[in-house]
Amino acid sequence: MSNDKKDLFRFAEHSIEDAERIGFSDYSYWGSVMHNFLKKKSAVFMLILFLFVVIFSHVALVIAKYDYSSLRIDYDLAFQTPNAEFWFGTDNLGRDYWCQVWYAAQISIRLSLIVVLGESILGVVIGCIWGYVRSLDRFFTELYNFISNIPTIIYMTLIAMVVGQSFTIMAVTMISIGWLGMARNVRNLVMIYRDREYNLASRCLGTPIWRVLHKNILPHLVSAIILRLAISIPSTIAQESTLSYLGLGLGIDTPSLGILLRNARTDFLNRPHLLFFPAVIVSIVTFTFYLVGNAFSDAADPKNHT
Amino acid sequence: MNKEIILSAKDVEISFNLRGRTLKAIRKCSLDLYKGETLAIVGESGSGKSVFTKSFIGMLEANGHVTGGSIMYDGVDLAQYSKEKEWMTIRGKKIAMVMQDPMTSLDPLMPVGKQIKESIEHNQGLRGSEAKKAAIEMLKKVGIPDAEKRYSQYPHEFSGGMRQRVVIAIAVACYPEILICDEPTTALDVTIQAQILKLIRDLQKEYNMTVVYITHDLGVVANVADRVAVMYAGQIIEYGLVDEIFFDAWHPYTWELLASLPQYGEKGKPLPTIDGTPPNLFNEITGDAFAPRNKRPLEIDFVEEPPYFEISPTHKAKTWYLDPRAPKIEKPQIAKEATMKPMGKEPAVFDEKLVEIKNLQVSFGKGRRKFVAVNNVNFDIYKGETFSLVGESGSGKTTIGRAILRINSASSGEVLYKGQRISGKISKETDRHLIKNCQMVFQDPMSSLNERAKVDYIVSEGLINHKLYHDEADRKAKVDNALREVGLLPEFSSRFPHEFSGGQRQRIGIARALVMEPEFIVADEPISALDVSIRAQVLNLLNDLKKKKGLTYLFIAHDLSVVRYISDRVAVIHKGRIVELAETEELFEHPLHPYTKALLSAVPIPNPTLERQKELLVYDSAMHDYSSDLPVWEEIKPGHFVYGNQRELDHYRKELQK
Repeated sequence: MSNDKKDLFRFAEHSIEDAERIGFSDYSYWGSVMHNFLKKKSAVFMLILFLFVVIFSHVALVIAKYDYSSLRIDYDLAFQTPNAEFWFGTDNLGRDYWCQVWYAAQISIRLSLIVVLGESILGVVIGCIWGYVRSLDRFFTELYNFISNIPTIIYMTLIAMVVGQSFTIMAVTMISIGWLGMARNVRNLVMIYRDREYNLASRCLGTPIWRVLHKNILPHLVSAIILRLAISIPSTIAQESTLSYLGLGLGIDTPSLGILLRNARTDFLNRPHLLFFPAVIVSIVTFTFYLVGNAFSDAADPKNHT
Repeated sequence: MNKEIILSAKDVEISFNLRGRTLKAIRKCSLDLYKGETLAIVGESGSGKSVFTKSFIGMLEANGHVTGGSIMYDGVDLAQYSKEKEWMTIRGKKIAMVMQDPMTSLDPLMPVGKQIKESIEHNQGLRGSEAKKAAIEMLKKVGIPDAEKRYSQYPHEFSGGMRQRVVIAIAVACYPEILICDEPTTALDVTIQAQILKLIRDLQKEYNMTVVYITHDLGVVANVADRVAVMYAGQIIEYGLVDEIFFDAWHPYTWELLASLPQYGEKGKPLPTIDGTPPNLFNEITGDAFAPRNKRPLEIDFVEEPPYFEISPTHKAKTWYLDPRAPKIEKPQIAKEATMKPMGKEPAVFDEKLVEIKNLQVSFGKGRRKFVAVNNVNFDIYKGETFSLVGESGSGKTTIGRAILRINSASSGEVLYKGQRISGKISKETDRHLIKNCQMVFQDPMSSLNERAKVDYIVSEGLINHKLYHDEADRKAKVDNALREVGLLPEFSSRFPHEFSGGQRQRIGIARALVMEPEFIVADEPISALDVSIRAQVLNLLNDLKKKKGLTYLFIAHDLSVVRYISDRVAVIHKGRIVELAETEELFEHPLHPYTKALLSAVPIPNPTLERQKELLVYDSAMHDYSSDLPVWEEIKPGHFVYGNQRELDHYRKELQK
């Protein structure tokens, strides 16, 4: 060893603060979530594609040659394949398919977003109470069993026949059933976190229940809730399609992707374009939320943060 | 002690890949194992002691790899092994391992006998009834009574200590040359721990095994080890015979580790502490990894890593202090004369009763499944004292603490706080008042902090609940103040708990309780989940706060050594009943109840000389005959209470007069 190190053999400063400082990094929760999410290229791509579809559905109606509200039935023009006049072709009644498809996409996406938002708010709130308040567990469990034992179709049929068919009715009905799954999911998760020691600590400090739920428990559920939420968007669209197919969905005059798919189904081998366009949009939405939901819930899981 | 080397690890390096980052868990570790000897590897969590030994039997997690060095055993380099098939010739057959938690290392769905038999069939080539006979023999050997009957029982029918005996039986059944025990007694009670250690020692003698202990408890080390390796940040920083490490250590980390033990502390004086926390091994470490925490570092410590310096043929240390160019260093005398000595000064006098517990009973469940956790307990806690409650797991000590804070409700009896009843139904006003004045510090700093809230919120939670601040600035100031008081930096308040080490987290937990300015704190095993180097920090902090703020503690512990340092009075609890209560020194000097005596004898003392002479007492509650002569809770001497019947009490009185 060389001689110049000799002067290093003397005492150096010792700082208690520096000793405390070792071993932690800069960290922000949502920053980390975004960072992890952006690493999933496929999800980011689908999300951009989806946003493009949403925006374009508005633009498309503006640049369309026909207005949806003033479409006229003309049998001579029926079943045209896509051409310069009718960009997506025409349907069995000779109406422009372009404006129908984009209008339907708007309606379906809006419906599913509203429904999913509604059912998750309701589901999370009820699920939290269900899981945290022991004395209410029995009541909610029985309620859950009661409602979930009635087949959705019967319930929807009744509503459609008694109350009527419209966008609002449809949304409300779907929310009123949809919260069940979310609530049960949340309840099970809450029960996992309920007896953690830090909740005991909060109790010792006299923290009210709602804040224990909001601060101690909900943040741990973010990842699971997002996943559930993302998966229920495609399933809402599917459900809406089923109901529309049975004639129990939206009114006749409101097109939705479900209705378009139903109409196209009968003859799609001869006229594939009728099925193709709505199917592509449904696929994009489904894929997007599946991928984004997974990616985001992974990203939101603190276990995956470094 | 020039024995045959059985395994020799040289410059072993192990890295883990974690989400694209590389963690260097072991940085050039060398180690020799001698035949028939016991080596203890000591270190804090994260120092790599487990990882290092797991590499001897190819049990690293999938993302970990030996990236350098060699592990020579029986003429073969184990570091080159990669296939399971190769490992199967070593693992279990030549080198066996006993893990920390006996519940997770046994198959819950298979009778224990069968599990031992499996190991025998696999490794000794015995079959059928012969193997069964050997298995029963093994069960007897590890001290399980009624072995024939126990053979067909399942793990859940065994107690923790018995389960660990079974695990040891499985490991030893294949006559390994090397037995690695990874914290074999950490999950067990003190009295059981002593028995298990003795069992391992007996088996070692019988089969002439080499035993490697991995532990963080220096008392255990003093009890079992022939040689000791001290690990820090993935390196062995000191290696030597047990006496050399305890009485002639050279690495500053070893010094401070020993000095910070409460057993060596003097009551009323703060313990020497090691500042800060172990380094983050994701980061590149230059120089001596311990330098930032060293109170007297050399400048070269920050620049260049020290080599090993030999102190004696068996003793080497990795520190620049031993370099001839280094300035003269006064070596602290720590363990030289350290014993479980009476610790200073007359007991303080307390007269104002803060908490009174009268005939308290707490039970869980109903009817046939009713379980009485706390049975007819009586004691008072005086203002300004530290009252310790010592007992094994399941003895009801935590339940008493929680009953005082009204987390568990009393099924009969009552709790008074400043003369006012606080058990059962109380007014909202009293409730608020109590919450403000009585706080709790939890055992496990990992689970007692909300991972998803910032330190700022965690600490100010109580303030928000009770509106104890004027405005945002005032709240911030209070949080900063509380953090500073527990020795953390105010800048930590914007961080999340997972960024902190165990000791720092525990201090955050204390800050959370402290910010309410309570009078009374229930500290439920506040240091048992912490690393040795950090315990002293927390103990000092608790003592400091007591002095500064006149706090009163109910200190719940299973470890008598800590209790002696910190408490004014001690109560020993066994199976829901307090069996003895006295002033600390009185209890340690004149223990009366046989359970107290057993507990005292079982505590490992971090002094090899004393540990060698120690005699282990075993307590069996069947020794009491309470059939006609009913036991009472009696003040046998002012301030000294004991539970026993008249005959026993007479006996205790005689003992006291001696």
